[in-house]
Amino acid sequence: MTTRRRWGLAAVVVAIYAFLLAPFVVLALSSLSGGEAYYISFPPRGLSTRWYLAIPASYLRSFAVSVAIGVASALAAGLLGVAAALGIVRGRYRRKELLKAFFRAPLQIPLVVSGVVFLQFYYVLFGLTGVRLLESFTGLLLAHVFISLPFVVGTVCAVLEKFDRRLEEAAYSLGASRWTTFRRVTLPVIRPGVFAGMLYAFIVSFGNVPVSLFLVGPRLTTLPVDLFYSMEYDFNPSILALSTLVVVFSVLTILLLQRLMGMDVLVRAGAKE
Amino acid sequence: MEPGHPAVAALPGRGPVKAGLASGWDSLLLPALGASLLLFLLPQALFVKNSLYAPLGFGRIGDELTLQNFGRVLTDSLFLYSFRLTAYLSFLVAVVAILLGFPLAYFIARSQSRWRSLLVTLLVVSSFITVVIKSLGLIVILGGSGPVNRVLVGAGLVERPLTLLNNQFGVVVGLLHYTFPLMALVLLSVVQTIPASLEEAAEVMGAPRRRVFTRILLPLCLPGVLAGGLMVFNMSMGAFTSAALLGGGRVPVLPILIQRKIISEVNYPMGATMSVLLLVAVVALNVLAVWLLGRFRRLSAGMRGTL
Repeated sequence: MTTRRRWGLAAVVVAIYAFLLAPFVVLALSSLSGGEAYYISFPPRGLSTRWYLAIPASYLRSFAVSVAIGVASALAAGLLGVAAALGIVRGRYRRKELLKAFFRAPLQIPLVVSGVVFLQFYYVLFGLTGVRLLESFTGLLLAHVFISLPFVVGTVCAVLEKFDRRLEEAAYSLGASRWTTFRRVTLPVIRPGVFAGMLYAFIVSFGNVPVSLFLVGPRLTTLPVDLFYSMEYDFNPSILALSTLVVVFSVLTILLLQRLMGMDVLVRAGAKE
Repeated sequence: MEPGHPAVAALPGRGPVKAGLASGWDSLLLPALGASLLLFLLPQALFVKNSLYAPLGFGRIGDELTLQNFGRVLTDSLFLYSFRLTAYLSFLVAVVAILLGFPLAYFIARSQSRWRSLLVTLLVVSSFITVVIKSLGLIVILGGSGPVNRVLVGAGLVERPLTLLNNQFGVVVGLLHYTFPLMALVLLSVVQTIPASLEEAAEVMGAPRRRVFTRILLPLCLPGVLAGGLMVFNMSMGAFTSAALLGGGRVPVLPILIQRKIISEVNYPMGATMSVLLLVAVVALNVLAVWLLGRFRRLSAGMRGTL
């Protein structure tokens, strides 16, 4: 590559990153505005943390709900997804491509449609059995597992297909039980794929609006939906402060995961197909 | 390993190693398959059925199956406009995401600097943050007194602040911000599979840069690029949040129409009808795209065979 071309490319890259990161920087700056104004002021007027102290407690509750549902979805999708991928790749099924396509299907369903589907499903279920899933943790969790399962199945299948079965054969022939073979040989090898899938399961669940929107209510809501309604109907600058805190939380989570699992996981997370 | 090998013979009660490890995987699929059928096919069936009842207002529905909802929706000019608008905006976002994402992915994949891991981490961080917060940040940036307009007015490029929000431009920017990090990560994984040595070989042989791109990079990346574009298109077709917040209700894409029908008008059958049509359109487009990709792959494999 010629030097001029490389600099041209680098300029494009810098511009793209500026676009990607600017919203977060701007949010953080305006959240520190000290003015009395009840609207967004950018650049901030004076510096103050008053909007941080004014974050209503209800947001903290919906934040906790979002984290809990994200973690639960990642765990549930992780368990179901790893088992499913093992079944698909190693089972004696003929139409493996069809099975994979079936598990990928939720990715093709527009999210807003999934939301409507679950809303109606829960209505019918309530009418038939009296089980109330609308505005419940379980109801939200089921819907979120549904939209996040494809990510785990996809990444784990990809890793398993490249897996060298001779590693397991060696362990098993030397006397390890099947469970030990799985725990000590298979699992460590597929772990990056599992973590990548679970990370995406968490991301998809944690940030979701179009599905949750139909399933939450005043008694139980998630942070993105809470923020969405605040922006639509009763904006106040403490939302900027809260958003900044969530951005900081997200960055710290990513850094922590990176420290724990290595860079590889993050790259793989994007390469889900 | 031979069945008669001492290591195997030493383990009484064990059959051949391969056979011992081969069985029993089938049943592992069942929990997820069961859950998916229960959470996927059953609700979908109920939902399609719901679109076949007539709405009676105030959330009540008729008790006879009818196709009248589909007739009404398909002749509704707002719905048809919204359908075209959603598809057009999604297509536009997919094209822009490809055009911006490919150079970025290429740069990261071929870079050997220590910035590389930072660049990837930033993409992941950006995809991690919920679209609501992204939209809020974009509203601050694109607003009438936001930094973009201040710079434009300050530099004398425009006389009055431009309207960058509550219109299609705002929605496209929002959708792009929502889908781009994922697109870049997918494209990165695509470009990474192509060895740099292929390009170097062509350059050493005297191929100009443009030819290296059109004859080597593009054909090898095309399936992955199109798959990524399809992903962005799918995400945009169902995206509600950025369209609602950055369109300010003035860009009536289908997800917004559906949400209004269900939450504001409590008209479940009509909401379901619109959702069914959106679903059918997206699935049909995906099937078509996968079929075309398959044909393209066979075609290029055939061409390689003749070389």
